[in-house]
Amino acid sequence: MKTWEELEKLQPKVLKIIQNSFKKNRLAHAYLFQGKKGTGKKDAAFLTAKSYFCEHLEKNYKPCGQCSNCKRVESGNHPDLHFIEPDGLSIKKEQIEALQKEFAKTGVESNRKLYIISGCDQMTVNAANSLLKFLEEPTEGTMAILITNQVHRVLPTILSRCQILTFQPIPPKMIQQELEKKGTPSHIAALVSQVTNNIEEAFSLSRDDWFAEARTKVIKLYEVLDSRPDHALLFIHNHWVPFFADKEQMEMGLDFLLFLYKDLLSIQIGNEDDVVYLDILPMLKQQGLKLGQRTVLHQIVSILNAKKRLNFNVNPQLLMEDLVLTLQEG
Amino acid sequence: MQVIVQKNKLVESVQDVMKAVSSRTTIPILTGIKIVATEEGISLTGSDSDISIESFIPAEENGTIQAEIIEPGSIVLQARFFSDIVRKLPQDKVEMKVENHFLTIIRSGSAEFNLHGLDAEEYPRLPEIEEQNVFKIPSDLLKTLIRQTVFAVSVSETRPILTGVNWRLENGELTCIATDSHRLALRKAKVETNISEAHNVVIPGKSLNELNKILDENDDLVEIVITENQVLFKTKNILFFSRLLDGNYPDTSRLIPMESKTDIVLDAKDFLQAIDRASLLAREGRNNVVKLTTFPNGKVEILSNSPEIGKVVEEIHAKNVQGEDLKISFSAKYMIDALKAVEGSEIRISFTGAMRPFLIRVPEDETVLQLILPVRTY
Amino acid sequence: MHIDMNSFYASVEAAFDPSLKGLPLAIAGNPEERKGIVVTCSYEARAFGVKTTMPVWEAKKLCPNLIVKKPRFDRYRKASKAMFAILCSYTPIVEPVSIDEGYMDVTDVARHPLDLAKEIQQRLLDELELPSSIGIAPNKFLAKTASDMKKPLGITVLRKRDIKEKLWPLDVEEMHGVGAKTAEKLKKIGIRTIGDLARGNDVQLEKIIGINGLRLKEKANGIDHRPVDPSSVYDFKSVGNQMTLPEDETNEEELKNALKSLAKSVSLRLKKKEAVATKVAVMLRYKDRTTVTKSMKLENPTDDERTIFQHALIVFQKLWKNEPVRLLGITGQDVMHKKNAFKQLDLFTFEEEAKNEPLHQAIEKLSEKYGEGIIKKGLSMHKEIDSFGSSFGKDFFFK
Repeated sequence: MKTWEELEKLQPKVLKIIQNSFKKNRLAHAYLFQGKKGTGKKDAAFLTAKSYFCEHLEKNYKPCGQCSNCKRVESGNHPDLHFIEPDGLSIKKEQIEALQKEFAKTGVESNRKLYIISGCDQMTVNAANSLLKFLEEPTEGTMAILITNQVHRVLPTILSRCQILTFQPIPPKMIQQELEKKGTPSHIAALVSQVTNNIEEAFSLSRDDWFAEARTKVIKLYEVLDSRPDHALLFIHNHWVPFFADKEQMEMGLDFLLFLYKDLLSIQIGNEDDVVYLDILPMLKQQGLKLGQRTVLHQIVSILNAKKRLNFNVNPQLLMEDLVLTLQEG
Repeated sequence: MQVIVQKNKLVESVQDVMKAVSSRTTIPILTGIKIVATEEGISLTGSDSDISIESFIPAEENGTIQAEIIEPGSIVLQARFFSDIVRKLPQDKVEMKVENHFLTIIRSGSAEFNLHGLDAEEYPRLPEIEEQNVFKIPSDLLKTLIRQTVFAVSVSETRPILTGVNWRLENGELTCIATDSHRLALRKAKVETNISEAHNVVIPGKSLNELNKILDENDDLVEIVITENQVLFKTKNILFFSRLLDGNYPDTSRLIPMESKTDIVLDAKDFLQAIDRASLLAREGRNNVVKLTTFPNGKVEILSNSPEIGKVVEEIHAKNVQGEDLKISFSAKYMIDALKAVEGSEIRISFTGAMRPFLIRVPEDETVLQLILPVRTY
Repeated sequence: MHIDMNSFYASVEAAFDPSLKGLPLAIAGNPEERKGIVVTCSYEARAFGVKTTMPVWEAKKLCPNLIVKKPRFDRYRKASKAMFAILCSYTPIVEPVSIDEGYMDVTDVARHPLDLAKEIQQRLLDELELPSSIGIAPNKFLAKTASDMKKPLGITVLRKRDIKEKLWPLDVEEMHGVGAKTAEKLKKIGIRTIGDLARGNDVQLEKIIGINGLRLKEKANGIDHRPVDPSSVYDFKSVGNQMTLPEDETNEEELKNALKSLAKSVSLRLKKKEAVATKVAVMLRYKDRTTVTKSMKLENPTDDERTIFQHALIVFQKLWKNEPVRLLGITGQDVMHKKNAFKQLDLFTFEEEAKNEPLHQAIEKLSEKYGEGIIKKGLSMHKEIDSFGSSFGKDFFFK
């Protein structure tokens, strides 16, 4: 679980709002944390829980992390914190029934109770209605945090009764730094951070052999195009198409290629910091200065077009051959 | 922590606290029993978060040593294993010692168990008794109080507050009320107390049923403390905690009729048996309803008709009938429950009309009251 | 034709356990306890003077060898079902009156009624080991009277022309429909036999026992126009309706609308029958033809559209798995006639009902005087045409 400081870096706005609510003692009865997967919603919910129960709150908002309540929030042993998440595909009837019975009772240790309901869009209508009943008549000292990554699927009646906090996608640079901290080579970390803004997903991609190999294939294609253009079609046939076997893989391959041409552009406009393919920077620099800006832009457009055509189910081999020829034209 | 304790005492205590342990808990630590050793003795706690039971083994009682505390401390041990182990230990003395990382050694004779324990700090913290907030009731009276009210709580979760019994303490008098909105049971009792502030709480019916099982049928005083979120009952060596129901209990006092239009006095036992007979056919039908008709000559007719099965009519003699003639229908089950609860050889039933609640009381006894709502035909 | 099973509960017990046959047997509430009362007993027990409603201890005194058993209603219901199945194999016009008796209209059965009665009696005995008495007459009242005349295993024919000789000499208290209280009132104005009643004074009769008095007089004269009505009492244990949706539906609002209209039609049909349902069941058939049903008990029996809809919706939401629905149905189950249904009053709302108490009392008084149904509440005056519904629906639902 993240500390307050760690999460503050990722979601400064959200944490500021929570911090102020604690400081001014103006907590809402219900919050809805919404945002993409991996943006730290659950961590934020548990941090809020710690602040809510903490015995030695620092500066009136930050949990100490050391007291028995903080520890028990972390270990799942706090009897007045109730965490519910979908059991399988949805939140089950029994889970809601248990929750309803819980709503009716006083707390075990005091009259402070907190409910965290993750995946609150995965509730049946029936379950949502019983939750609504609680949201309509909240009891003193009771607070609920709902979590969703599909806010459009949450009933409007529920939305209207919650304070909604939106979690921003995490900036690629931050993901890159996180991965580097965990020992991922910079050039991999840089590319991964372009593909996802979910830290957990980023970490698993960074350790995926396919991902690293795909990256190599893309660089190889670029090299072939540059140094032995007449071999390009052969390369597509022998190495590209067999490797990027399905549509999703193909799309990722095109994305990788796109990032590479974007790097050229970055170099041309003097934004070397944004370069993703760090390990081939010297080569890219050489090329970037050789080619005109117009040419690179043209190439980027042709990759984007290829991506579009991919969605119209054009034969991948034909599509790649076409693309390669356009790229060669320069 | 290191202690040596009498096995039979430990077994007894474990049995007591196991009544509160549930295997279906969502809080991992509650699958365990908390054991705390102090100079005074050893306390064991089990809980399902709704109720918690703490049992105390004094180090010394009536001059005999029951537990030797070598090193005070605490630990949480898996309830299921610990209770089985303790029961099956070979000797009548048990040594328990907590080593590093909560590893606990349980030794008795030549048997030695190593159990992985959990940090007692993780265990829920229960309220403590503040002596100035105590009131006291004899155990047997407390049992009666529970028995006479708890049956009337609601079993439906649609109004959760009605699944509990409302306890009001004011001016040294405790009033217990339960209703499922179809009938109501009320019982008052004087209690021994020096607290002046009034209390008004709702105790879950389920908790009171559990408490009733633990209490002995004697006149030892039970100490009771009400806190903002729990109520606790203390007998000699057991502490019983229950969470409360959150919310306001409806004010029923204005719904209990003050005057009556028809009053009948009956022999409680005869009447109960007559209703029981009438309900014999009624409960097999789709509704367990009996119809009561009073006649000016003091006769009372009990009738039950289940079109599918048959009909029962019985006439009984009331000891006294006063007021207007009346025909009223009601659930036989509610009447039987109420009659079983009131105790007393004679009962007075006061009606204020066929569509209004009626009261069942023992003449000259103001402490017990049962109220039933009649049924009406369409 | 009226078929009356002889000491039904006891006979069923004996059919289950043949060793009880020919022995004095009683069914009582609490056989172990002396205070239990005899619900019914075999003819062997009756021979000792054991009677229904007698306490067990008294019965044992009269008949020390009496075997006393607890009632087992599940068995009786099963036997009852089997018995009516046999009756229904001859004509669909069978009207069950209670668990152990019923009327059949055999006017259109192309057989001599006496032969038919003999065959039915024999089949009940052979197939179910249950004895019965049968009365054959031109109307329900006379048939019922006839089946009472010879028990057990009797077959009695009562023609209109036999009335003077067979019916009129009987004590008026023995007449079907005359209770002890009515008999007492009649005796006060000098009516002692059924014959006396048949010749009674209309004005006087109406004055002392209301409109019912005139009906009783008609019956005493062998006149009874009531038809054998298969749907009169127990036929409608369930009232349901269903609809196939115009297209496989996944939109919850559309499905709700469908439920609403189904609830309305079920409510109308209940009201037409003056009946109320104690349970609401919902049936769903998905696109792939899998069919699921679920029901919910109501706190109080109802015929109200809104109540039916609300409960159906709760059941529906528990049942529905967000898949396309092809067919939707609502059924009111455990349906009973309004006059047998009760509403449990509520402590927090009874004042509302109690306000109407004077009105209810007035209706009751009028009904006593002029006969049931003289006043109906607005609701039962519906003349809607029941556009949906077929017995197919019911059968499909509850097989």
